[in-house]
Amino acid sequence: MDQEVIRLNNVSLWRRTQEEFSYDLKRTVISFLQGKYIKPAKKQVLKDVNFVVKSGEKIGIIGSNGAGKSTLLKVICGILDPTFGTVRVRGNIAPLIELGAGFNMEMSVKDNIILYGVLLGYSKEEMKTRTNEILEFAELEEYGEVPVKALSSGMKARLGFSVATDVKPDILILDEVLSVGDAKFTHKSRERIQSLWEQSSTILFVSHSLEYVKDLCDRCIWLNHGEIAYHGNTQEAIKLYLDSVGVKEYIRPPSAL
Amino acid sequence: MILTRKKTLMMWEKLPFSNDIERYWQLLSVLVPQNLNTRYRGSFLGVYWSLLNPIIMTTLYTVIFGTTFASYFGDSIINYMFAAFTGLLVINFYNSATTQALSSIVINGDLLNKIKLPLPVFPLSMIAANIFQFIVGSLPLLIIVTLIKTHNILFVFSLLLPFSALVLVCTGIGLFLSALFVFFRDLGYFYEIATFIVWITSPVFYPSEIVPARVQPFLYLNPLVPIIESLRQISLDGTFPEFSHLMKGFLSGIVILTLGCLFFRKVQSSFMDLL
Repeated sequence: MDQEVIRLNNVSLWRRTQEEFSYDLKRTVISFLQGKYIKPAKKQVLKDVNFVVKSGEKIGIIGSNGAGKSTLLKVICGILDPTFGTVRVRGNIAPLIELGAGFNMEMSVKDNIILYGVLLGYSKEEMKTRTNEILEFAELEEYGEVPVKALSSGMKARLGFSVATDVKPDILILDEVLSVGDAKFTHKSRERIQSLWEQSSTILFVSHSLEYVKDLCDRCIWLNHGEIAYHGNTQEAIKLYLDSVGVKEYIRPPSAL
Repeated sequence: MILTRKKTLMMWEKLPFSNDIERYWQLLSVLVPQNLNTRYRGSFLGVYWSLLNPIIMTTLYTVIFGTTFASYFGDSIINYMFAAFTGLLVINFYNSATTQALSSIVINGDLLNKIKLPLPVFPLSMIAANIFQFIVGSLPLLIIVTLIKTHNILFVFSLLLPFSALVLVCTGIGLFLSALFVFFRDLGYFYEIATFIVWITSPVFYPSEIVPARVQPFLYLNPLVPIIESLRQISLDGTFPEFSHLMKGFLSGIVILTLGCLFFRKVQSSFMDLL
């Protein structure tokens, strides 16, 4: 059980800041001709991040907006490559993502399920066998052949949730808690998250709901301006984080997992 | 089962080459139908709409230029019509494949920010969708023309040679454009001018003989010219295409594809900062 599943060695990431970039060929060429071309600036978003996650650990990542939490998850998922340092991941890793808006409206519900399944890394054949299960969970059995544009927004959200959570990963990545649908489905979706939580041995959990982090995570990483400011005991991390932002006590938000 | 799939996703570079191909194949097998579906709103017959444009254009060219240029085509307006049609098929394939590839990475930016996917798969899926469309839509017509003109099934198969050169050219340019578009979102306007230059320098509606001899060598800088010429030699003259034309077509295809790939690989690491 003590196997290392994620290891980050001195990971630093520099990203081009989008605001400074012109996206414009005409302007770039003109500024080149005038000799005014400036190389786009880069900003360091992650500084020397080091940590190891062992199999079975549930780790919370906290920090203020823009501290680099989601960026860190993207680096771990392999969406972004670190500028310096190395990232090693063993086992399959599944991010829980919001698919709601990403569906192809013209295509049928079934085809969308297969499309997203394949994008997420499953084979087409496998997705075909799983389509019915997913439809059943989303309570959209009668809508299999209907184009997605015919679904109500709530149904789309249910479909998105069902596709995204129909995974059995070794490492689960949760960026805020997903909860969708009407009263009945909200209950169901919480159960699904719960069971994913129990099934997946290793979890990385990014959240602003510190209460959940406190309840659910064994260890916690506090990211501050792209650096690990504290790494260790969850209670301690939350206390230090709250102190740093000048909040005395954390107030529980009006929703629950 | 699920485990092995996911590993392909995460440990991309560590696994043998065959798994990469398998993953690309899986992705293309869902992305290509999606592209076609979006374009034709689910109707399979929609593919044939893509023939409407070359047929109307051929008719117009024939009506306007047919009598003037017929002398260059053995005094036959029909020959002129077939020549214009084959040229248009090539130009249309080139235009739609490269223009669609251009925006392919940018329009999938949201997706790429959520799921790790091999970046080249998006321009490639656009090229593949156009290949499919060509095979279903234009190729049957081209085969009929070839059979009428040559009465020889062998020439039908040799149509594949210039067509593969065309695919190489389009893939290279598509990769190049899709990468450049990430950086320069106004590229579309400039590329419209470029496609116009490619179109007007290709002897589609005029015989290349009317171009002044001094200018003619420059026409061959256009990679589509040798491809159109060899396609015409096969389907209209019923001769095996001149070796030099085919060579030029393939050579420019390979050079363009290599340059496109190299450029794409060089800049793809900075894509995610801009999507």
